[in-house]
Amino acid sequence: MHEMGIACSILEAVDKELRLYPEQRASKVALRIGEFAGVDTESLRFCFEAITIDSEFGPMELEIEWCRAQDGRRGDELELAYLELDDVGAKEMTA
Amino acid sequence: MNRVAVEKRVLSENDAVAAGIRETLGRAAALSLNFIGSPGAGKTALLEKTLERLSTQDAVAVLTGDIQTDNDARRLSRYGHPVRQITTAGACHLDARMVERHLDGWPETGLALLFIENVGNLVCPTSYDLGEDAKIVVLSVTEGEDKPLKYPGIFRKAELMILNKVDLLPYVPFQPELARENARRIHPEIDIIETSCTTGAGFDQWMNWLAARAARKKLTATTEAVHADCSRADC
Repeated sequence: MHEMGIACSILEAVDKELRLYPEQRASKVALRIGEFAGVDTESLRFCFEAITIDSEFGPMELEIEWCRAQDGRRGDELELAYLELDDVGAKEMTA
Repeated sequence: MNRVAVEKRVLSENDAVAAGIRETLGRAAALSLNFIGSPGAGKTALLEKTLERLSTQDAVAVLTGDIQTDNDARRLSRYGHPVRQITTAGACHLDARMVERHLDGWPETGLALLFIENVGNLVCPTSYDLGEDAKIVVLSVTEGEDKPLKYPGIFRKAELMILNKVDLLPYVPFQPELARENARRIHPEIDIIETSCTTGAGFDQWMNWLAARAARKKLTATTEAVHADCSRADC
């Protein structure tokens, strides 16, 4: 089940991106997944939740845009589209 | 709340390692091929018969991936070429880091051809760039003709489909024309070669494909080297 590996890669990418925003945490990560990417989105959601829920990253919402191979898209996309960031401390304040 | 655009591939770390492998192998003008297929499609047998036909003077090496055991490496090492087993210990695919670790030293020895046998799986290995020049999907006639439709990702990415075990066609209800048609519905330009590791059918065509692909790689590498020299010399 390579979705676990992909979930870990998402977290690595988020972690790397967050170094640019030291006072913030990611509350949402948005992915773009093509129809031929070979990724089961439900498995990926399960794995992502499993590795984030009790981690320093959690809770983090995972949004997935599933896209067809059309309008210039190849259909094999597996991309991190955007992050939604909150100020550090927002997690504690809202908990 | 602040939204920031990222627009990066999730596997960008893997891609960066793969790009490094591609550059290293490109400098050596070594052709690398990533074989992907279901368990039992005949990837190892295909490589055995291929190695048997290559001279031990040819600078060929094999990386073979499996979840457990080094059985395939032991099988493949009987043909006089260097072989290394990558045991993934549970992972259902090879990634570029695994390949990079196991390549250690080979590109510097004048390597001309690298075969990478991926873990038996038609889904997960598709996502991971290993720095190869081409993916080759191996389908056997004991599977279904609709595999290209069920697993379109790999058939779209593969440059060549090898339809293996054709010696069994008289005994199985497999329609090769339908399999070809399905593969071309997904990837119209895909090359298709039918082989049998038992009778040797199709191996002349496969070896010709391999030679032509290796020649194309050498030409590309030479052209790139000339351009690099030229840009250094500011010509």
